[in-house]
Order: sequence, then structure tokens, then C-alpha cells
Amino acid sequence: MTTLDPSHASEAFKEFRPPLLDGKNDYKTITDQICGVPEWSHSETPKAWYIAFTIAVSMLGMLGAMIAWLFWMGVGVWGNNNPAFWGWPIVNFVFWVGIGHAGTLISAILFLFRQKWRTSINRFAEAMTIFAVACAAIFPGIHVGRPWVAYWLFPIPNQMDMWPQFRSPLLWDVFAVSTYATVSLLFWYLGMIPDLATIRDRATTPVRRFLYGLFAMGWNGSNRQWHRFERAYLLLAALATPLVLSVHSVVSFDFAVAQLPGWHTTIFPPYFVAGAIFSGFAMVVSLAVPARQFFGMKNLITMRHLEAMNKVILATSMMVGYAYLTELFIAWYGGNPYERFAFLNRVMGNYSWAYWSMFSCNVIFPQLFWFKKIRRSIPLMMIICVLVNVGMWFERFVITVTSLSRDFVPSSWGYFTPTLIDALTFIGSFGLFFTLFLLFCRWLPMVAVAEVKADMPRDEAAVKGA
Amino acid sequence: MSPMSPNAQESASLKASARAGASSAEWRSLSDLENTPEFQELLAREFPDQDPQSVPEVDRRRFLQLMGASAALATLSSCRWEAEQILPFNQRPQGMTPGVAKHFATCVEFGGVAQPLLLRNYDGRPIKVEGNPEHPASLGASTMHAQALTLEWADPDRSKVIANKKGGTQDESNLEAFQEFVDEHFGALRDGGAGVAVLGAPTSSPTMLDLARRFRDVFPDNAGWFTYEPLNRDTEIEGAAIAFGKPLRTHYKLGEADVQLWLDADLLGSHPNSLRYSRDWASRRVAEVAIQDGEPMMTRVYAVESTPSVSGSVADHRLPLRSDRIHGLLLEIERALDGTVLASRPAWLDEEPTKKFIAAVVEDLRRAGPKVLIAVGPRQPAVVHAIAHRINQKKGAIGKTVVMTEEPVAAKQTEGLAALVRAMNAGTVKTLVLLGGNPVFDAPADLGFEAALAKVPVSVHVGLYRNETARQCTWHVNEAHPLESWGDSRSWDGTVTLQQPQILPLHKGLSQIEVLAKINGDEKTAGIDLVQRTLKKLPNAGGNFDAWFARCLHDGFVTGSAFTPANVTLQTFDAPAPTSAADPLANGSIEVVFKDGTIGDGRFANNGWLVETPDPMSKVTWDNAAYVSVETAEKLGLADNTLLEITIGGAKVEVPTFILPGQAKGSIAIAVGWGRTCAGRIGGDVAGEIAPIGRNVYPLRTQSTMGSASNASVRATGKKYELASTQDHFVMDRIGMEEREARIDVLIRKDTFDNWKDHPDHVKHAVHHPPLESLWHEVAYDGHKWGMSIDLSRCTGCNACVVGCTSENNIPVVGKEQVLRGREMHWIRVDRYFGGDPENPELAHQPLTCHHCENAPCEQVCPVAATSHNSEGLNDMVYNRCIGTRYCGNNCPYKVRRFNYFSNVEHFKEPGGDLYKLIMNPEVTVRTRGVMEKCTFCVQRISEVRKEAKRENRAIGASEIKTACQQACPTEAIVFGDLANGDAEVAKREALGRSYKVLDELNIKPRTHYLAKITNPNSALHIAKTAHGDDGHGNAQKKGH
Repeated sequence: MTTLDPSHASEAFKEFRPPLLDGKNDYKTITDQICGVPEWSHSETPKAWYIAFTIAVSMLGMLGAMIAWLFWMGVGVWGNNNPAFWGWPIVNFVFWVGIGHAGTLISAILFLFRQKWRTSINRFAEAMTIFAVACAAIFPGIHVGRPWVAYWLFPIPNQMDMWPQFRSPLLWDVFAVSTYATVSLLFWYLGMIPDLATIRDRATTPVRRFLYGLFAMGWNGSNRQWHRFERAYLLLAALATPLVLSVHSVVSFDFAVAQLPGWHTTIFPPYFVAGAIFSGFAMVVSLAVPARQFFGMKNLITMRHLEAMNKVILATSMMVGYAYLTELFIAWYGGNPYERFAFLNRVMGNYSWAYWSMFSCNVIFPQLFWFKKIRRSIPLMMIICVLVNVGMWFERFVITVTSLSRDFVPSSWGYFTPTLIDALTFIGSFGLFFTLFLLFCRWLPMVAVAEVKADMPRDEAAVKGA
Repeated sequence: MSPMSPNAQESASLKASARAGASSAEWRSLSDLENTPEFQELLAREFPDQDPQSVPEVDRRRFLQLMGASAALATLSSCRWEAEQILPFNQRPQGMTPGVAKHFATCVEFGGVAQPLLLRNYDGRPIKVEGNPEHPASLGASTMHAQALTLEWADPDRSKVIANKKGGTQDESNLEAFQEFVDEHFGALRDGGAGVAVLGAPTSSPTMLDLARRFRDVFPDNAGWFTYEPLNRDTEIEGAAIAFGKPLRTHYKLGEADVQLWLDADLLGSHPNSLRYSRDWASRRVAEVAIQDGEPMMTRVYAVESTPSVSGSVADHRLPLRSDRIHGLLLEIERALDGTVLASRPAWLDEEPTKKFIAAVVEDLRRAGPKVLIAVGPRQPAVVHAIAHRINQKKGAIGKTVVMTEEPVAAKQTEGLAALVRAMNAGTVKTLVLLGGNPVFDAPADLGFEAALAKVPVSVHVGLYRNETARQCTWHVNEAHPLESWGDSRSWDGTVTLQQPQILPLHKGLSQIEVLAKINGDEKTAGIDLVQRTLKKLPNAGGNFDAWFARCLHDGFVTGSAFTPANVTLQTFDAPAPTSAADPLANGSIEVVFKDGTIGDGRFANNGWLVETPDPMSKVTWDNAAYVSVETAEKLGLADNTLLEITIGGAKVEVPTFILPGQAKGSIAIAVGWGRTCAGRIGGDVAGEIAPIGRNVYPLRTQSTMGSASNASVRATGKKYELASTQDHFVMDRIGMEEREARIDVLIRKDTFDNWKDHPDHVKHAVHHPPLESLWHEVAYDGHKWGMSIDLSRCTGCNACVVGCTSENNIPVVGKEQVLRGREMHWIRVDRYFGGDPENPELAHQPLTCHHCENAPCEQVCPVAATSHNSEGLNDMVYNRCIGTRYCGNNCPYKVRRFNYFSNVEHFKEPGGDLYKLIMNPEVTVRTRGVMEKCTFCVQRISEVRKEAKRENRAIGASEIKTACQQACPTEAIVFGDLANGDAEVAKREALGRSYKVLDELNIKPRTHYLAKITNPNSALHIAKTAHGDDGHGNAQKKGH
């Protein structure tokens, strides 16, 4: 039994495993470094942050304007048409939900698996998750024809005794995504409490002390609190883990439960989950690389972290590629002529450009991560990770739009063309994402201070001296 | 109350004054009697009622505030909405229940032929046009144009006032001024003045013809009475005149001839008698009926035409051939039947597939004896008609399958118009009265009508719209719509058909006969008087005229007034040798065929329903296009959605190209009537900065090329022009085309008559699937089971159902931009498929509505249960529950759901848009933006009958409920009813061997079934056709047996 104890194992392999952090760090430097960012004064804040924030807020404003125009005019401002009743908004929804997978996966599943390297990246991966889910949540809401009655999706008791229709996967979606958002938010916030308390304790202004103190919820670092905290964290991790798998499975039911050829396949739940983790990790890398640069966290988020994430990307890329090939095989082997055509059409039809964009971005380019040099090259990993996100967006586009545009009766086949509003709304959703993300980087502890410290090699002398 | 002294005080002092003696004998009040100093003071006051003490003190600010507010309120009260008053009947007319529809028989005249109608009238508003079921020319059906009349009636762009041109501009005038002008101007002319001419629309109206006679009497020196319509039947009448020595009308008995050859003849589509012809044709296309008679026989129809028409599309064999070659083809057939030799025989007759086709036709005609008919369309020159008559006569068909009767419509319209223009140019026409029509737009280009019109000092135009012609005239009179006025006409068979107003004229217009009566100085000027005066003279008029007239009005027609067959003898005539270019694809001798489109000759250009109705073949909306065959396009370098420049003589027009399989090689067909500049907010109004829709091709059309021109040069301009087609263009990627081809056989199941006789349920085995099991608990329907049957053997793709549904169900018009995005709203669509050889494809139509699946996939995915089943199995759509996720649309395998992407009622808010509300069916919800909608199986009609049956305490009759599409269908292809009622036609049809359900293998249990298309091909031609893969499923089927 003792050999299974992770702490013993780490002791045993200490000399073989490089430390998780680079450079000379001790508890104080870590605290100063991470808590230093929220304590930046106006003049200390880099200009780049202001510029980035201005751009992000402008994009967010554009999102607002697009939504206002949408509400004023109607869903027709988008490119959706009669066979393709769903278009970019649903593609964007699935895209953002997918991105929102990495955070909880890193926090919960890697926590349960005792992957200690997660501590440097989990905080902001979780933040990313929440912001991505926030972006995702916008789309189903504004996507409906009459958004002012969108609340009918929720099972609110009413005088008509009218409940939602529980057989609809769209309704399951409502529950899955809202549960996921709630648990992710709780998980993120709970993990942050000790760090918020640290900032409170270091605060030099009353405002800061009050605000951080408010959210630190009276944390005093007592033994009992730590005990409870770690129990709660473990429980939430256990709760969040199935959600990582369930939320995208349920999202995939939106498609799989429909009888549309190209949607109606049983492979969707695992395939969607793998794809979500894939895109989520790619997004974490795309964000971590600039963040560690601009906020001086290179010692905390090391090349080793990035490389580990790139390995996950490589693995999930192959899962996704396997799913693509399985789909094609089953389409042929299954003998359903409509399904066969749906896939033939994806690969060779009007939208083959989208299919091959998806395939190359998701399956071919990530194979470069087999090479250690590429895995450890900042510019190359940035390019590949951005391509993965492009590819994953295309995956959802291919699934949603190509299947819809050519279904059973050829007379109603059509071709979907997006409008400018579609594009600006999607770009605007990045505005929301980056606004929230930049605010988070600036005002909250970007790395989990307490957790990183827990996994630091102990300074035996200091411990003894104390 | 006034602040005068209180009563108590008054009465107390009363006694005192009475004691003191009254100051005067009479007193006005007790105060007067008392006559106190207060009273004296009161009398002296300027405003006795006003006690200055009692007015509360108001400071300056408050005063100004109150004054300001009062002034503001006073101003506001003056700018209020115009009060709309709905006046109830203070005595309800007998038999009228508000909200319950009434039906009135009437008619409208198109091309001089009455279309018998039955108007559904709600509370005094005509809501829905239906065919008159008792009239022999309709039998309850109606054309798409007739269906769209209500929208024309309510069109806010209709002419609303009389206009008079003084100086350069037309100004608003009024009826009094016009009456004054008529009295003065025509009054003077009646006394021997010369130079008054009338140009009217061709008509068979007894009243109009009577007024024309009176006109000639009143104006003895008149300059003539002319009639003209651009899509006239001059050649047809002239052909009969050549063959039989007098202008006659040709009637075909499509239900009686076993072998029929239709040459450029769209008998089931654009023919004025298309409704009856369609019914007759369909009566012999029902396989089950055909075998009931002793000798199994279905008609066999051969069609030869340059451009695929509704009629050609349902022929057993169709040969695409340039219109100018049909003459040669017919002579060749005649020669072959006679066994003689054609003097100068063009080489193309020996080309395939023409040669084989001719051989098959000749063989069949020979075998069928006298039960044959050869019909020729108005695009063909008169001599071709004459030759057809000659062959029909030789076969003994005249009098049997081809019946000749008198022709009430004037012959030689184009020649007449030319004579009129000559007279106008010569200055002999001083006054021109135009009764309807739009010759400035649609007259043959070589006549120069517009220039000639400018030379006529006084011109009076009577029309529904202030169109291109109206604006060039000195007077324009707003015409009362046919739904607003009295009139009469004759249907194709000659039955005198009455037109009665459904409502008072919306814009106080006058009907043509009323204007003419004024001009004639008639003693009667009211429409009804004029009509009654004419009808009194009819031999059928009974002794009690009023009762007889009431009876006729009720029926909508005069019983027994049809024409009687004329005795004819064939004249000898020489048929000139046919001329047609040797190489049909040589640029410079390309043929341009002028066809009619959904907007007729242009008169319906402002009718959104018709403009958005897809062309039956190309499925293009909002535009006309140059249809070219695949081979022609390749040869001439033309591509879809690009502009094509066509030059004939000096005239040049650019038209968007549409590659249409089945168009004849070297022939370009273009619909006329598009490109209007003074039509209105839909059809184009250049003055109002609304761009014309489509391209005007009338400039290419001359007197000698009314049907087709054979000397066109074309040039691909390469300019892009997007056409809004509701179905995919032919040009598609390869795999899409292959798949579509493969699916047609499963969607539209076909069989030959011979094969069907041996295997009546052949078509049921087209799809093989494992046993179907449902995930859900399946509902058993014990009561009514509403269902629909669509017989593909009978569907011609004529679009009557589409417009009928649009009118019944308040379906919005969305515009070209939205159609391009695939957002058209039609609840019923007619799919058109091509199969086989692109140069001569097999054509098939398939109307699709909501199938009301019992296991509906749309219902399972709606998160708010906005679409769900009722107890009778109708898939209901609850608009006010719908939040618009559109998931149902995604999951509908037929893609028949329609989403309101925008608010489709914005046109109500435009100036004049209120009028559109008049024709909204009050029984059907007008949908808001953001909700899904779809075919309801006309649930309002079901309810109407259900209520009636309940009130009368009886069961709903087997075929009592008719949906709007069924009602409009001229061939009875669509039947609705209760599948649970064995007596219902729909249930009987479902039990037939050739019934099948589309996509039944999805286990959705659709309530709509189709009857397979059974054709009767000639085996000599059919074998050649199956070579290109008709039978993907045929083989599988053989294995199944």
C-alpha cells in the first residue's frame, strides 16, 4: 500500500523527476510573484494590458450591438436558412462549450489522478472554462426566434401547468450546461479562497482589504479550515469529473438524438468529449503562452507544463482522428444509404473544403507534436494550438451545417452562407471571453498559490530551522 | 355649483322680503323677490356666477404652468389617430351570421375566357377564391392566377383615382370632371364626329360585345374596335379558318382520345380551358379506372415542345424540339400517315431521337383509329394548326375528339392592333379608348405603339393600375376590380358565366362596361343594369326574369348556354414548306420562344403571391430567365446565373441564363411580362425608385414573331445575376447530382401501365428495411384519422395548390433576397425532378406538405412542446408556445417546416398596407416573427365542418372536408379525408396497390401517402429510355418477388 502513496512515490523518484517549477523559488517569492499582479498599481500595470483590454472591450461592445440588432430585427440577420435551421450560433455554442472542458478536466480529473503538474495551470484553465461557458451560454439564448420567452426552457411552475417537453435533448442541454457552469464556478471559487485570503492579508488599501476579504469568506488558514477545504475540494473534484464527460455527451445528444443523417450516430458522446478536451487544451496553451510571458510567470508555467499539455493535445487529436475514421467506416459499413451519402457529401461535396480544413487542423497538424522540438517550441505550439481551435470550430460547422444542408429529400437541399452579422457575433464572443480573461489575470491570483506551494520541494533546512 | 349664497340664507330672507312687499309683480327667483342689496350687486356683476372670492388664489408660476399644460393638451387632442369605426348591422340580414363565411359564384375573364369562381366571403370581404364546382369549365378547381385575385383586389398600388393629363403631367381628377368630359367630348362625337377607336382586351362577354355593337351604332364614323392581348390565340383561330373556312374554336376531348399528340400545346397549363382539360386528361390517367373498362386502356400522350411546360412534363413521351421545327415534324407525320413523300424533307428528321419518336407516334396514331387527337398551341403559326386539323379530319377525329364551335373572341388581334397603330400614326384616330390592357408595354415592338399613342389627341385608359400605358394617356379611369363589379363572360365551352361584385368598389372605380356605357351615352350606366339587359336577350332567359336571374346568379352561370358543335368541312389549302435552320445551334439562328410565366403577360407583376410562386419547371421566383438546354449552354458558352445578351434584328436584351434540362437544342425560352416599370411596390415602379423585377423581353417580340423568333444571336456577357430558385439548380456538384438521381426512384415511384397490371403493388417494395420498432409508446387513434393522398399520376405541377394554400393560410411573401436564402414560406411546395438524359429528361412533380407523421420527429425534439399531436393525429403547431429553437425544422425529414426569420407582416405598416389585412383569412392566425409554421391540413376547414356537423347532430361526411390545395387542384390529385372512414376517397386510395409513403422506413408513420406515377409509354421508345438507369430499385424489386 505504501508504494501507492503518491507522496512516497514522489520522494522515491525525486532525483529522476525534475522539479515542477523553474529557477529558485521559495514560498515567499511565489506569493510575491502571484499576488503581486493584483497588487499592481496603475503605473505598474503594463501598457499592453490596457491595449488588450481596450480591444477586448470594444469587441464585447460589438457583441452587444450585434445582439441588439438581432433582437430588433429577428433571427433572419444570420445566414440560417430552411434546410440549415441551425447555423453559426449553434456551431459557436458547441465550440465554446468544448473549450470549457479543459479547465475542469485539469482541475478535477488530473487532481484525482494526482497529476501535480496541474497546479501551475489549473487556476486559469478553470477561469477559462467559466468564461468559455459564459460565452457558450449566450448562444442558445439569443439563438431562439423569440428570446423574450426563452425562459420557457426552464421547468418553472406556471398557471398553465405547462412543463417543458422532457424528451427534447435541447432541454437536457439546459440542465447539463447549467449544472456544469454552476459546479465549475463553485470549484474555481472554492480553490481560490485561500489565495484571496492571502491577497487580503497583504492588502495595503482598505478597499482591497474589504473586497478580497469579502470573497475570502473569513479564511484564516486554520488547520480545521484546511481540513474542510481539502475535503470539499476533493468532493467537488469527484462531482465535477462525471460532469466533464456528461456535459459534452449531452450537447452531442442535440445531434445524435435527431434522426438527421450525419447527426444520428452513437459515436457522438465519446467523440464530442475527446474533441472538447482537445480544443480545451489547445485553448489553454494558446492562452498560457502569452500569459506567462506578460505576467512574468515563466518560472511557474514552465516548458514542462506546456509540453505535457501538448502531449494531451496529441493524444486527443488521435482520438478525434480515430472518431472521424470510424464515422466514415460505419457510414459505409452500416449500409444506411442516407448516412452513407451524408458522409460522402462531407468529404467530397459542396462543403469538402470545410471537412478538409477540419481534418488537417485536427488530425494532421497536431501530429507534429510527436517531435519533442516542436512540442517545446513556443511559436510552433502557438500556431498548432490556434489551428486546432480553428479545426475544432470547423468540426462543429461540418457536423451542423453539412448534415442539415443535404438531408433526405433532395429538393430541399440548400447551401448555407453566413452573413456579416454571423461573423461579427462570433468575433464579439471572443471579446466577452478576453474581457473576462484579462480582468481575471489582472485582479485575481492567476496561479493557485497554495496548491503550487504544496507541491514545491520542501526546503528541509527552513522547516528544520523553524 | 355656483358660489352664490346658500339656500338656507336665501329662504330666511325670503319671508322678510315678502312681508315688506315685493318690489315687482313678477320675480325670477326667490332672491329677486327678496331683492337684497347682495342680489342687486349680483345683477350688476358681469359674470354673476363667478365669485371672485371663491377662486383660489393662483400665483403667476402656477398660472403659467396650468396654461402651458392646457395649451399642450389642447394641441395634443387635435393630433389624434383617425377614428376607425366599425358599424354593426343594425338589422342583421337574413341568413347572415357574423364570422361565418358565405360563398358567391362569380367569374373573371382571362384572355377573353371566363374562369368560373366561387368566392368565400367573410363579413363582406372576399377572402378566398375557389373554383365553381357546378360549372362545367371548373368543376371546383381554379388556376393559380384566379387564386391570386384577392391579392390583386387588395393591392394598395391599384389605381385609386381618375387622372387627367393637362400639360405634361397627370393630375388627380374626379368622377364629376370625367363625366363632364365624357358628355362634352363624346357627346360631340356622337353627332357624327369621326376618329374614335376602342382598344379593348379580347372578350367573350355578351354585355361587352353588346356594348361594342352599340358603340358602332352610336359612333357610325368610328375608327374601329380592336382587341389585343400579347398572349393571344390568333394563330389558333386563324388555323381553324384556314382549315374550315371560318374562325372557329377548337375543343379537345382529352378524356376520349386514346392517342394524343400535343405540339407546343400547354393544354393543362396556360390554356384558358386548362382546368377542364386537366380534369379530362386525368380521368384517363388513373390506372385503376383504366382497367375497369373491358379493354384496359390508358391514354398515351406524346408531347413535342421547345420548352418544358406543365403539359409536356406529364406526357408519356416528350420530345424537345425547336418550335420552328414542329411544322416540319407535323408534315412528316402527315406524310407518314398518308404514305406519301414530303417534297423537301429536312435532314434533321432523320436524326435521333426525332426519327424514332415520329415512327412511334405514327404507328400509334395509325393503330388508334379515330380515337386520336393532335393539338397545337398558340405559339405555332396558323398553318400548323390547319395541318393538325387536316390530320384530325383524315383520322375522323373532328366532331369526336376534336370539336369545333363558334369563336366569340375576335380573331387577328395582332393584325388589328397593327391597323390601329397605322391609323393612329396617320392621324385618323382622334380619340382612343383603352379598356384595360397595357399596349405601351406589351405591344409588338415593331409597331411603335407608344409613339403612335402620343399622336392621339385624346386617349382614355380604363385600368386597375396606372400602368405604363395609363401614364401616357390624357385620361385614366381607375377600374373596378372584377371582384367589385358586375359583368359576364363565356367560359371556353361557351357557357355564359356571371360576374357579381363581392364588395363595393374599394376605390370607387368603374368597370369597363360602365365606362363604355357612359361613352356610348347609354340610357343605362350601372353594371347590373347593363348585364341584365344583355341577359334578357339570351334565348335561355325564362319568363320570370328576376327569378331566372337569381337562379343564374346563384349558380354562377346560365345553364345550357354552351356552344353547340359546328358542322365543318375541310378546305383544301397549301401548307408552305417548313423552314428551320439546318444547324439549330448556329449563333444567329438561335430560336427565342416567348412563353407565359407565373405573372401571365405582365398584368400580375405586382402580385406578390404569383411573383413568389416558383416557375413550374425552373422553380425560379421573382425573375424571368432565358432557359437553355445543357448542350446549348455548352456550345454557346453560357453559364447559370450570368446575363445573356440576345439580339434579334436591332433589339437587344440582357436576360439571366438558367440551364433547364429538357429545353430544346438551339432554343431559348423566356417568359414575357417581366421588367415592368410602372407596376407597383412589388413589380417595379421606376418613378417610386423600386427596381423592376425580371427583364422585359417584349422589345424582342414583333408582329411576325409573336410565338417565337428564329434568328437570334446570343452572347454570354459574363455578368453575374443571381436567380432565386426554390430548388437546386441543375448545376450541382457531381456527388450531389448522382445522389439526387438515385433518390428520385424512391421518392417518386413510377411504373408503366403494362408492368403495373401484372404487379399492382410493385412500388411498395422499392425500399427494404428491417422491422420498425418505436422508442415511444405509440398512440392508437380511435376517432378520425386525418390523412392525405397525392396521386403522382395526376399531378401536373400547375401551382394552383401553392397559391391556393398561400391565400387560405395567410402565407407571407418574403421577397427575392429571402428566397435566395432559402426562406420561402410556402406550406406546400411542388418538387420537380429530372431523371435520365439531361437533353430529354423524364420530368416528375411531387407536391409536399407536412405529412402529419403519427410518430412525428419534430415533436420529439421541441423543448417546449409547441408542436404536438391532437387526438385525431394532426400534428398541431402552437404558435404562441413556440420559442423558435428551429430544432423541429432540423428533424423534419421532409423539410416542410417554415420559420419566420423576420417579421413577415411589416408590409401591413407601409402606406396603404392596411388593405393587405382585408384579405387575411380570419380563421388563420397571422404569425409573428420567430415562430415556426407549417401545413396544418387546413385545420380551420376541419373545425368548420366539425362544428356544422355537431350542430346538425350528424357525423362528418366521408369527403366533406376539402383542404385548400385539394380544392384548387384541377386533376383531383390531392385528396384529404378521414383514413378511418372506409367510404372516404382518401382511405380507398390508401388501400390501393400503388400507394406508398415517402420515407416510411424512418418509422415516422406519415399520414400522407402518394400514389405511384403510372405512365403508359410506348415500348418502342421506352426501352431506349431505361438505358440510362431508371431501375436502380427495379432490380431489387424483382429479387423481392
